[in-house]
Amino acid sequence: MQQAPQIIDDPAGARFLVPRTAFTSRDVFDREYAAIFDRCWLYLGHASELPEPGSFLTRTVARRPVLFNRDKDGEFRALLNVCPHRGAIVCRERRGTSPAFMCMYHGWTFGSDGHLMTLPGSSGYPAGFKRDPQKQMVPVPRMERFGDFFFISFARDGEDLATYLADAGDVLDLVAQHSASGMQIVGGTQEYAIRGNWKLLAENSFDGYHAACTHSTYLDYLKNANGALGATPLAGVGRDLGKGHAMVEYSAPWGRPIASWVPLWGEQGKTEIAAINAALEARVGTERANRIAHLNRNMVIFPNLVVNDIMAITIRTFFPTAPDYVEVNAWALAPHEESDWLRKYRLYNFTEFLGPGGFATPDDVEAIEKCQIGYAAAGEARYNDISKGMGRADGASFDDEEQMRAYWREWDRRLAMAEA
Amino acid sequence: MGTDTITDAILLRLRVEDLLYLEADLLDSWRLEEWLALYTADAHYHVPPTDVDGENADPDKALFYIVDDAVRMRERVVRLGKKAAHSEWPRSKVRHLVSNVRVERDGPTIRARSSFAVWRSKDGTSDVFVGHYLHVLVEQDDGTLMIAGKTCVLDMEALRPHARISVIL
Repeated sequence: MQQAPQIIDDPAGARFLVPRTAFTSRDVFDREYAAIFDRCWLYLGHASELPEPGSFLTRTVARRPVLFNRDKDGEFRALLNVCPHRGAIVCRERRGTSPAFMCMYHGWTFGSDGHLMTLPGSSGYPAGFKRDPQKQMVPVPRMERFGDFFFISFARDGEDLATYLADAGDVLDLVAQHSASGMQIVGGTQEYAIRGNWKLLAENSFDGYHAACTHSTYLDYLKNANGALGATPLAGVGRDLGKGHAMVEYSAPWGRPIASWVPLWGEQGKTEIAAINAALEARVGTERANRIAHLNRNMVIFPNLVVNDIMAITIRTFFPTAPDYVEVNAWALAPHEESDWLRKYRLYNFTEFLGPGGFATPDDVEAIEKCQIGYAAAGEARYNDISKGMGRADGASFDDEEQMRAYWREWDRRLAMAEA
Repeated sequence: MGTDTITDAILLRLRVEDLLYLEADLLDSWRLEEWLALYTADAHYHVPPTDVDGENADPDKALFYIVDDAVRMRERVVRLGKKAAHSEWPRSKVRHLVSNVRVERDGPTIRARSSFAVWRSKDGTSDVFVGHYLHVLVEQDDGTLMIAGKTCVLDMEALRPHARISVIL
């Protein structure tokens, strides 16, 4: 087996280089599935997506078909959505409510906990066949929740979710604390794909350096749109959250539906935002309330969960199907109790910047796809430079690349560990 | 149905078709300012996601791909006019096909349903967006038709392999 390409991490020389074959090699891609996607905790879904006993949805997670559901007692479950008989997908709907799932091939029918309920032609099988553990739907090896965020792992052993999340857990809590009554996924999913390596999307999601150039037209738009832009400057820090998770945390001139008012929202909006802010302070204290309300956070939870708490909140997860192709799912998260007025602005904010039709994401996609095309020359033009801010003595700025270095070090560590 | 009624219905459909073909032509040739002039001052341009009932979904309650009011439509055109709108510079080749036009009149408001296929070609890839348009048209005092709103319902499972709706559908 050939040696996996390795990053060059030289703090003394302020050098941090990532070999471009990491984005193009089929061998690296296979290693990533074995060492990362088959081992790490991966985001599955949010509790609000399954509102009642019997609720289900189907997702593809690390190439596997997964049924995420609640059984008749309301317990959350994650089953491999595969019939134990011949392996056909059991539930073929995207979402719904059902007490049982019938495989369309031979009619084997399973309860919401995956147990085999009905076996057509059972006289052809020995007594006890129906209760054989091998004839039941297979649960995903591990599922845990952190607040209302559900994660799964295909590794039978390993650290628990809270340990895995390290300091990223507290940032997930900051998101949850936007609401007194709980957060919910707003209906409507942005489902798209990018012709680029999945790690390019991870990098881009918390790259504070690219905004001024890549998104100049978005920033122009904010200036043109009467009152969409506050007086707050773009400024902040990059943070390593441990175990490959990292974020940038910064102030920004755009409005935040939690508690940063901009003139576009009018005087009535100002009153409503002030009330939300006061309730937030009473609930979590002034210091934390200020952080929740006024600071933006772009976080990547290793390997593939993006939680961007910016002009709206997006939860975004993505899986590669090839070194140069990644499938992306993105949702909007919002407080349950939010007024119709503020929800409207939140979604208006979201679509203004984020997603395939926004004023910013298409240009991120352009950057990612152009990088991927450039990596065809990886044999000669070999390395990406990720060293910005490396020699800085007074801590990383939001527009340095410290957060990406944290991510890449974990990527490198996991691939090297698998090799050993 | 009397001959006059049939004639009126056909004439109305032809007028609407003319407008939809003009819109397609302006978008294909990147004459976006002229495209914008087809719309009323309170118009909207919406693209719902593919996992909701796109004809009835409410953009104030569900996450869409595009929720443009007239202000943002104008800003979209302004943005696409800049070289720094990187996704569309250099500009992609675009072709809108519009067909299956059906028209219903409700006083001065006319509702048109049609099918579309929009190709976007750039950098060695060619992606097709398939769906149907719901146009709301308003007859002006001088008899001309203006567009008061367009919803582009994608008849696709997901926006794959497309990563972006950076052209106007």
